[in-house]
Amino acid sequence: MWEQQVAFWVLAVAMAAAAIGVVRSRNIVHAALFLVVVLAGAAAQYILLAAEFVAWVQVLIYIGAVVVLFLFGIMLTRAPMHDDAGALDNDQRWGGLVVALFVLGVLIALLVNAFGGKKIHFSNALVSLGRTSHVGTDIFRVFVVPFEVVSMLLLAALVGAVVLARKD
Amino acid sequence: MNPHVDFHAFAPEIVLTVTIVAVLIADLFTDDSKLPARIAALGVLGSLVPVLTLAVDGQTRSLFGGAFVVDPFSLVLTGFFLVAGYVTLLLSFDYIGEGDYYQGEFYVLLLTSLLGMIVISSARDLISIFVALETITIPTFVLAGWRKHDTKSNEASLKYFLIGVLSSAVMLYGMSLVFGLANSTVLVDIHKYASGHTPALFAVAVFLTLVGFAFKVSAVPFHFWAPDTYEGAPTPVTAFLSVASKAGGFVALLTIVRLGFFPSGNSWQPILWVLAAASMTLGNLAALRQTNIVRMLAYSSIAQGGFILVPLAVAGDVRGNAAWQAVVIYILIYGAMNLGAFAAVIAAARRTRSAEISRLAGFGRTNPAIAVMFSVFLFSLAGIPPLAGWFAKFVMFRAVFDANTTVAVVLGVIAAVNSVIAFFYYSGVVRRLWFDEPAAGVELSSPRLPVGLSAAMGLMTAVILVVGVYPQFFARLGEIAFQRG
Repeated sequence: MWEQQVAFWVLAVAMAAAAIGVVRSRNIVHAALFLVVVLAGAAAQYILLAAEFVAWVQVLIYIGAVVVLFLFGIMLTRAPMHDDAGALDNDQRWGGLVVALFVLGVLIALLVNAFGGKKIHFSNALVSLGRTSHVGTDIFRVFVVPFEVVSMLLLAALVGAVVLARKD
Repeated sequence: MNPHVDFHAFAPEIVLTVTIVAVLIADLFTDDSKLPARIAALGVLGSLVPVLTLAVDGQTRSLFGGAFVVDPFSLVLTGFFLVAGYVTLLLSFDYIGEGDYYQGEFYVLLLTSLLGMIVISSARDLISIFVALETITIPTFVLAGWRKHDTKSNEASLKYFLIGVLSSAVMLYGMSLVFGLANSTVLVDIHKYASGHTPALFAVAVFLTLVGFAFKVSAVPFHFWAPDTYEGAPTPVTAFLSVASKAGGFVALLTIVRLGFFPSGNSWQPILWVLAAASMTLGNLAALRQTNIVRMLAYSSIAQGGFILVPLAVAGDVRGNAAWQAVVIYILIYGAMNLGAFAAVIAAARRTRSAEISRLAGFGRTNPAIAVMFSVFLFSLAGIPPLAGWFAKFVMFRAVFDANTTVAVVLGVIAAVNSVIAFFYYSGVVRRLWFDEPAAGVELSSPRLPVGLSAAMGLMTAVILVVGVYPQFFARLGEIAFQRG
């Protein structure tokens, strides 16, 4: 089990450092690239938890789509890409820091209180639970209604985006 | 092994989905600008047919391990949403047509939002509720910004979008904690979990989930997007947002509290109490100072949302279903009143070309028919008998007295004071309509009102008068909703 512990801590420290990089970076493109590290770390954590499908979805959607969309957005809106001290800063950052630390403290205390001392026991059953086939079966058996509704939602979002983006 | 799917239970959703696709295709292949609108209206009415056949059948259908349930409650609310959606379509026909906006696309988005609402009436697990709630909201982000060249409309859309996304994230985080603790997303299982001993984290999870809903139903202190969005969005969309989409949030809130969090009363009752008291008070006080009729109705709908939250906040101390019934009855009546009020605003704005209250001066002399109906809607919102609004207030106060605890009575007193404050600004507009000298520039003999708009106003007036005089009709619907099928 100690290998997993080591892997967890290496990933966790890297994610936390990259997350600080996201908010501290003075260059918006660097911030987006730091975000890739955070999201990839989250994907690796899912693999440690034997949730392979969620891990790959994390890679495909967050790194593959969302961050690329960020970069496209930066490109298309012609946001300043050079280092611009102060342009990305917010006057309320110290207030934000206090609130963030408070929320962090409360959540850590409560999560430790609720889940502390519980252990995940790795077994073949747990691994098969995270398999793509299992998730797929669940989507089309148990969650078929939300699945169908989401497809209509995506259609509507597509139509709406075309209307907003179209020149007239 | 394939799961048994009861297609009759999904029939309203299926009809509406087919309608959405048909509208999209019709818009693609014809130049007839009226055809998509006709298909949309017909489809919404068509979806009511399976609702009726399911109601006649009367059987409770529970699918997917209790995640999707068709019972009297879901049928009553599905019916309400479809009627509200139809009335919104009536309001939109000419507004959207004359502005030369994208008509077909408008109806596709409106109907998709409506689809989310009828799914939410039957959804009984966190994932379905969340997906349905997003299906309600995401199309309305775009609808609020439909007047692309109007900066106010852009502002409305952007504010609504940013706040909506933020609230979804907060709610989803809360829901993920609930799932982590209860090990299930189905509300029945969460109910079982909440009956036992729960750690403090559960209270925080409930808090975050309810905060998300508070944004959706624009309860104070999470309301600040509503007045700007309501003012900037096209008025039929505002009517839809303030009635159907808000009711969608309340239905989900009612379901999740009643079937999920209920046993753990300490975790949700104080939050709802504060939201109810703050929404009523701040909504009404802000409404007093408005000079724009749409902004006034926005604040008034925040206050009305507070009134709807009152029975929910005291539900833990009410025996039987009286509190839940009060919520459903209030939603039904509020829908009729507010849709009517916005229809009247659209009709009046066609004559005065403005949404300022001062421009409505003497409107009763120049356009008596619109002014009479406008007054009916406003007095009904104020809760004056014999208009339907009094019955909504009555069932709310009855729930408070059924609860009969100190906190409930304090909330009842706050509600009573607010009913009086609300009367001032509603009657202020009515006084403007009838007793002030007409303002210059109001067209006396404007072209006839569109049929759809007149029909919507007439229909809502009729509902308000009939329910006001014969409240047993909606009271019975409220009872049926919570009968065991």
